[in-house]
Amino acid sequence: MRLLALALHRLLWFAPTLFGLLVVTFVISRVIPADPVALVAGETATPAQVEVLRHELGYDRPLPVQFVDYLARLGRGDMGTSLFTRRPIVEDLAHRLPATIELTVVAMIVSVLVGIPLGVLSALWRNSLLDHALRVVTVSGLAIASFWLGIMLQLLFSMRFGWTPLNGRLPGFPPKDLTGFYLIDAALTWDWGTFGIALRHLALPAATLAFPALATLVRFTRAGVLDVMQSNFALYERAMGLPRPLIIWKYVLRSALTSTVTQIGLLFGILLAGSVVTEAVFDWPGIGTYAVNSILRSDYNAVMGFTVWAGAIFIVVNLLVDVAHTLVDPRERAS
Amino acid sequence: MSAAWFVLTRLARDRSALIGLVLIAVLVLSAVLAPVLATHPDDVFELHPSDRLKEPSGAHWLGTDRMGADVYSRLLFGARITILIGLIAVGASLAIGVPIGLVAGYHHGWVSDLLMRVSDIFLAVPQVVLAIAIAQTLGPSLPNVILALSVTYWPWFARVVYAETRALQKEVFVESTTALGASPWRLTVLHVLPNIASPIIVRASIGMGFTILTAAALGFLGLGPPPPTPEWGRTIAESREFLPDAWWYAAAPGLAIFLTVMGFNLLGDGLRDVLDPRLRRSPARDG
Amino acid sequence: MTHGRSWLPLVLVLLTLTAAASAPATAQTRFVFANESPYDTLDPHAAFDVGRVAVRLNLYDGLYRWLDNPPKLEPWLAESHTVSPDGLTYTFKLRHGAKFHDGAEITAEDVRYSAERILALKQGAASLLATMLAPGATKALDRYTVQVTLTKPAAIFLAVVPEVHVVNSALLKKHEKDGDWGAAWLAGNDAGSGSYMLTRYDPAIGFVAKRFPDHFMRWGSQFIDEIDFRFVKEDNTRVLGMIKGDYQGTGGYLPNDQVKRLREAPNVKIVEQESMRIMMFQINNQRAPLTDVHVRRAISYAFDYDGFNKEILGGTVERNPVPIPNNMWGVPRDVKGYSYNLDKAKQELGLAQAKVDRPLTVGYLQGFSQTEQAATVMANGLRKIGLDTKLTSEVWPAMVERMKKPETSPDLVVYWISTYYADPNNWIGEMFSSKQWGTFKASSFYKNPKVDDLLDAALKSTDRHVREKAYQEAARIVVGDAAGVWVYNTKYFGPWAKNIEGVRFSPIGNGQEIRWLHYAK
Repeated sequence: MRLLALALHRLLWFAPTLFGLLVVTFVISRVIPADPVALVAGETATPAQVEVLRHELGYDRPLPVQFVDYLARLGRGDMGTSLFTRRPIVEDLAHRLPATIELTVVAMIVSVLVGIPLGVLSALWRNSLLDHALRVVTVSGLAIASFWLGIMLQLLFSMRFGWTPLNGRLPGFPPKDLTGFYLIDAALTWDWGTFGIALRHLALPAATLAFPALATLVRFTRAGVLDVMQSNFALYERAMGLPRPLIIWKYVLRSALTSTVTQIGLLFGILLAGSVVTEAVFDWPGIGTYAVNSILRSDYNAVMGFTVWAGAIFIVVNLLVDVAHTLVDPRERAS
Repeated sequence: MSAAWFVLTRLARDRSALIGLVLIAVLVLSAVLAPVLATHPDDVFELHPSDRLKEPSGAHWLGTDRMGADVYSRLLFGARITILIGLIAVGASLAIGVPIGLVAGYHHGWVSDLLMRVSDIFLAVPQVVLAIAIAQTLGPSLPNVILALSVTYWPWFARVVYAETRALQKEVFVESTTALGASPWRLTVLHVLPNIASPIIVRASIGMGFTILTAAALGFLGLGPPPPTPEWGRTIAESREFLPDAWWYAAAPGLAIFLTVMGFNLLGDGLRDVLDPRLRRSPARDG
Repeated sequence: MTHGRSWLPLVLVLLTLTAAASAPATAQTRFVFANESPYDTLDPHAAFDVGRVAVRLNLYDGLYRWLDNPPKLEPWLAESHTVSPDGLTYTFKLRHGAKFHDGAEITAEDVRYSAERILALKQGAASLLATMLAPGATKALDRYTVQVTLTKPAAIFLAVVPEVHVVNSALLKKHEKDGDWGAAWLAGNDAGSGSYMLTRYDPAIGFVAKRFPDHFMRWGSQFIDEIDFRFVKEDNTRVLGMIKGDYQGTGGYLPNDQVKRLREAPNVKIVEQESMRIMMFQINNQRAPLTDVHVRRAISYAFDYDGFNKEILGGTVERNPVPIPNNMWGVPRDVKGYSYNLDKAKQELGLAQAKVDRPLTVGYLQGFSQTEQAATVMANGLRKIGLDTKLTSEVWPAMVERMKKPETSPDLVVYWISTYYADPNNWIGEMFSSKQWGTFKASSFYKNPKVDDLLDAALKSTDRHVREKAYQEAARIVVGDAAGVWVYNTKYFGPWAKNIEGVRFSPIGNGQEIRWLHYAK
């Protein structure tokens, strides 16, 4: 019942929140001093020629009219055309989405697979050498500038050692482009050569992206496990003589997973934000670079498109996380 | 002020918090004493093209950059920029976010919902992206970076204050003072604020670290203060074309950023442990 | 022959067949080029810039083409042309039998369509063409003859003709949507006749094209089968990629430090050529205190030319003191220009009527660290004569936008003017004629009736001698007026794989026309 109430409450505010986001972005994108229409017209166009183009593109109408028109198009699934690529933005975004998702998912997997066990161990072997070492990692993870980490990793592994490539997802074009996820495509076509190459290209960007997420995960898993271990019912079980491994398995791990689920939303935020800068460092052709380039080039429509997409996803993810949290955490359910 | 003393003594016993404090002190000292500590104080704007890209040596402790300027000296002056950005941006976020959080927490109903949704809007897009958009719109400069950061960080303060205010409302002493007829303002200033001071302080310390990182990212993308400002993020971007040979050019400012942010993070953690052990348990949204 | 051996021939046949099937196909030669700008559109009429020239040079053809250095205009799709005595009508005779990639023959109708298209889309070279050519003024007289009637005689028309890339009108008409001249489709597809045919394209990655064997210029015995042009943003990455052998070519205007590294790489060679690409600071002549010639002269004396050209750029560029490249005709050889002299600078400031009481804004380009460094050097020099500065940066398209109006253009802006076409008008003509205000090249906002007359006369006349004198005189006046600060003329230092041969460099194409290349045996 509470779950339903929560979901409904959030959904009710989903639309207005998104709307507010659109207004804010629309205002920002139209208030820019630079005039994107002129940019599209090209270097050699005269002001008169720019005005003609402006009228053709409909950018001389009053702002509110343009905004309403934009909303109407959005309703039909049309985010407009990028002023630079002259392609529908929906296409641009869809095209670049797999790159970012692949990177983010790999980073997420790495941080979860490495972070949670380390967090558990850190809690179990509290104050050991491992614990202290991990504390350093945890603190560093959130203190290192990810663009700098990326550059340093590049410096070491790509330039000095030559073990990893410098940038991009693959050298040039993928042999087979089915889903846009190069790892999956390679696996599906049994092309393990390309799989390996794609993995090597993913190594540094994923490591860079995963580091802060990993640090956060270790920290919160550790805290969660410690919490449980010191809690009453764990003590009780211990007093009853249950073997330690069983206690760990039964309660501690479940609690660790609970806190992870809660953290997924947080992780997602970190990864998405981190991806923007990381993609810039590694020339990763994903949504992050698209957003940055669009902003730098004052590509109105693309900026709006990206914001709508990112905003919608964020809001949805937050909602799902809240729901999941409520489902998973028995304390929440009871209250 | 025995509370402050209490905090300090407890803090002093936490080794990592102490390290944090030391790092911050080094940062502040570097910034304040830059003209004195620098070996080539003029290199903030002077160029020596014939000395470019020299390795670290006795004359140049951290080598020279692409214009022949001393990396070490520029790093020290860069600390000034870092502190300035951090303090003002966090201060402004605080000034915006706390009142909003208070109002939202105190009221119930649509006012509160509206305010929190507005803060959601700003949180919906990654802070970095929003900051980039604002900085690019207004033009790359120091004040605009600070503005962009303040505008994007206040929601964190608002949220914390909102949560704490709501929690406090359930406390008995609040109900009783209200019942006794205390005005909302009196209540807020005399009772609520002191109680939420701790989370705000913790958030401010962590916020410093976070803001400094975002500011460096903006500088890296070219949206920060223009040359010849020795901003750390911009210096890293400048250094890229000279790697791997001039590795010190990229390593030094990055390390400076790392140590600075770590200092604030460690201090923030220590403060959190001391001020409110409760907070340590809850997997509060961090940032 | 016993029966037992009857299976032998069969086996032999099978073996041969298998051997033939599994024999490797003759190795396809590939050429990979790392480009610093993204290929965000393949439409040859949507861009005019050097950054994306590979698309136009390799996938498309024009009536004429600029080749070699010094650049010569060579007949390409056109065999010849005639000009009417009044200089208004040009008649081009097309080659017979030249084909598009889809097999259709190139006809005068395609040329007519292409000219109209470029004018209609209003992008790329359109604005330049629109000053000379009106819609409807291009006619297809017969299957192989095109006639163009200009609005006024223009000496530079022929120089710009190569930018009218001929597109497959039938193909584009098929993909037209809402009267867009097929623009949406052509942004990602190929409607050309060029030496190479598009096989793959991704705006985030680049494009791949394979050799078009039926190209009308025909092929020698040695060539490259497949070309792969990729977007690689970071200078450093392109350089390291060349050294590793991942790329066989990349842009030739790298910073000096990078060129040095490439010289030392065993599998890279540097093709050095004098190019035509001036780097300069435009001064906003309309904004006080820069309206005062003494202030402008002071600024001209305050830039450390040698420090920048010789130290920071390692002597890889030539000082170019006038607004025409040193190696172009029309340069007044007696003009020495300004040098770095702080005393003279202060003297000039003393003579100035206008007082400089505010920081001067110096604009540079985001992503082009050389402009950043130049701006820093300028700021440093100005500081030494007591003038404050404020540096400001934009991405190139945004800066272009700012430079269109005297109110929004910074006080000083540093950038390059490349060779869009090989004629002094490409520089001094478009930079200092008051008619050009509003274009990015004319952000000097200079207005001098005498200079206007000289430049006009040069445009109208087709006599090279007359034109040369006019440009020289105009240059003398402009330099005397210190209407800008001209820093250097670039040299092209093209990194190519050592075993690549046949590179044909022209300041307009920058060597990116791959049909001339092949690998050494």
